[in-house]
Amino acid sequence: MKVVISGIGTISAAGFNLEESLCSMKNGKRNAGPVSLFPNVLPYPVFEVKDLAETVETKSIRTFFLAVTAAKEAFKDAGFSLPLSGVKAGICLGTTVASQLNDIEFYSAFKKYGNVDLKPVDRYLRGNISEALAYLIKATGPSVTVVNACSSGTDAIGIALSWLRSGNCDIVIAGGADELNRVPLCGFGSLGILSNSLCAPFDRDRTGLNLGEGAGILILEREDFYIKRGKTPLLYLSGYGSAADSYHLTAPHPEGKGLESAIKKALSDSGISKMDVCFVNAHGTGTIDNDKVESTVLSRVFGENVRYFSTKGYTGHTLGGAGGIEAVFSAAALKHGWIPASAGFLSKGDEIPVSPVAVNTTISGSFAVSTSLAFGGNNAAIVIEKV
Amino acid sequence: MFISGIGIIFTRGRGIDSFENALMQGWTDPSWTDSFPAYRVAKEVLSDAALSKKIRRADKFSKMAVFSALDAFKDSGITLNSNETIGIILATAFGPHTTTFSFIDDILDYGDAGVSPTKFSNSVHNAAASYISTVLGSCGPTVTLTDFSYPFQNALLLAESWLKEERCKHVLCGCVDELSVVMEYACKMKMKTAEDGKIRPFLFSDCPVSVLGEGAAFFMLSEEKCKNNYGEVSEIKLFGESKNNPDIIIIDADGMTGDESDYEKISNTGLPLAGYSPVFGSMKIGSAFNFAAASLMLKKQHVYRCPVLDNHSQMNLCSSTSETNITGINCVRICRSDQISIINIKK
Repeated sequence: MKVVISGIGTISAAGFNLEESLCSMKNGKRNAGPVSLFPNVLPYPVFEVKDLAETVETKSIRTFFLAVTAAKEAFKDAGFSLPLSGVKAGICLGTTVASQLNDIEFYSAFKKYGNVDLKPVDRYLRGNISEALAYLIKATGPSVTVVNACSSGTDAIGIALSWLRSGNCDIVIAGGADELNRVPLCGFGSLGILSNSLCAPFDRDRTGLNLGEGAGILILEREDFYIKRGKTPLLYLSGYGSAADSYHLTAPHPEGKGLESAIKKALSDSGISKMDVCFVNAHGTGTIDNDKVESTVLSRVFGENVRYFSTKGYTGHTLGGAGGIEAVFSAAALKHGWIPASAGFLSKGDEIPVSPVAVNTTISGSFAVSTSLAFGGNNAAIVIEKV
Repeated sequence: MFISGIGIIFTRGRGIDSFENALMQGWTDPSWTDSFPAYRVAKEVLSDAALSKKIRRADKFSKMAVFSALDAFKDSGITLNSNETIGIILATAFGPHTTTFSFIDDILDYGDAGVSPTKFSNSVHNAAASYISTVLGSCGPTVTLTDFSYPFQNALLLAESWLKEERCKHVLCGCVDELSVVMEYACKMKMKTAEDGKIRPFLFSDCPVSVLGEGAAFFMLSEEKCKNNYGEVSEIKLFGESKNNPDIIIIDADGMTGDESDYEKISNTGLPLAGYSPVFGSMKIGSAFNFAAASLMLKKQHVYRCPVLDNHSQMNLCSSTSETNITGINCVRICRSDQISIINIKK
């Protein structure tokens, strides 16, 4: 049973929707700057989504608003009107920030006074993004939020694939979303992996990552269900693989054992070989360790002619949203026949075996791989196919 | 999907034997702090010399997860041919929030640049699953899920899919949640606490009482029947009717999800009814503990007396602990009247 990607939508600092995002990438526009969402003294630039319009969803948590914005675009693209009816729909979204009650003002007041307004708790309890979206669109299938750190979005898409194959749903809304928040900004700062300047994934002089925010959503459908809707498939989600490093809480396995295994599983799940893959949308955060390990694995698995890039130079690292956003960009690249330059890359160091794509490049293949590496040693990869 | 091992950490100790003893013993008084009752896990339960090096930086949340997952693995007696044959699925409602608050303490006390990277990395939801994979040396798929309504049911559903797709031969699937002062405060303000420390699952109240709990329950789930077998999960329904006719129904009512009146309809079948939340406490992940009780009942062919028997509706409660012949149990959770979840386990 094949799984169709029938709709895609995204929001990030690169653009309010897919069209704007592709335009930013085509023109090499990088919308980073200082944090304006919360008070902060750290010197790191971020990729913030500016000027969000006030809607019903903005009264919930920001991550949910980002998710709903991307989901609405994806639903429109798929030809669904909301709320859904007569469809067994599942929701599987990844996040990190939205899963935590990391409201500093609330906690500070609680510590000081003991007796505080519980509105932030209510907002948090209503803000499990998959449950909240299921409620909003009246979904009647499983809904669960994946919290696998930076691979959450990719793992969420992989879980959706399992649900559809096992017949638990007709369609699944899958992907990831995350907002900028002071707690992870301080946390990543403490780990020493944030860059003071614009991130430069895979570059010789890279100094770390920039945090970002956004969402990337895919509408996935069982092929039989999609065809019954009178549509002709163009894109498929054809495989998913996941593997743990079983090595370290924050550092990737030095040889990328888990990532290699995840990619090979995804290829095997798709029934294709490495030769069929025309590009890899890499995790590519811009940190010393991630980029070194990832480029080594990509060259080992796909060979020295591998075409790969990172889009984090346009979106920042959107954590739980990254896998969703990058799946959307991968699907769009296959559909439109071009991949963007890996923003920030200028020159290759000795430890990077193969250079990423340095200019916008026309492609003509049928299969793309998108990878994610995460805290906790999680590694995940998906394969997207164009008919 | 067969249940080949169980590991549990809860207020009365560690291990499936402790849990069975608690089911035999029945209700006991929770611990009281500032007149607030809760079923807390004692610090002494969370030490293990054999693991102390590998999890020296782990917080309480991760330790509860690691110990119960490891116990489930050991209980199964399974030996692994490849480190990729086990998948890990951890579900939680609230994650390691005590560590998150401790990290925020650092921000408040020392400023944005003065925080601890160790606390931050342990505050991430999937730290616990990472510790489990490291301790077991497992390189299979590893995922952490969060949900406020059906965390255990969703985890089981995914385990079943992974096994069917042959992503792994076994899945360590379980739930973890912890208590904290913030959580206790929020529950005190938002929910009705049982003043005598007794959860009453069979009153079907629209404003039920709760006594918070914490702990972890993990299950080794296998595609094929293993030497140690508690039973077979034959159905996981998130919506709608069960196609199975059980011998016993176990309900998750524990005061944690608000209005419990919908449980009355599904309980009023004449079948023996049980609910063991008064043994381990009110938790969003309570289903995992009732599922463990059901698994034990099937394996041991034993029915356990309901720990609190208040029963205004004259239901047919399991009112004594005895040997019996059980072939199937339905575990029921209701968070919304339009969403009744049923897990059926067979002998």
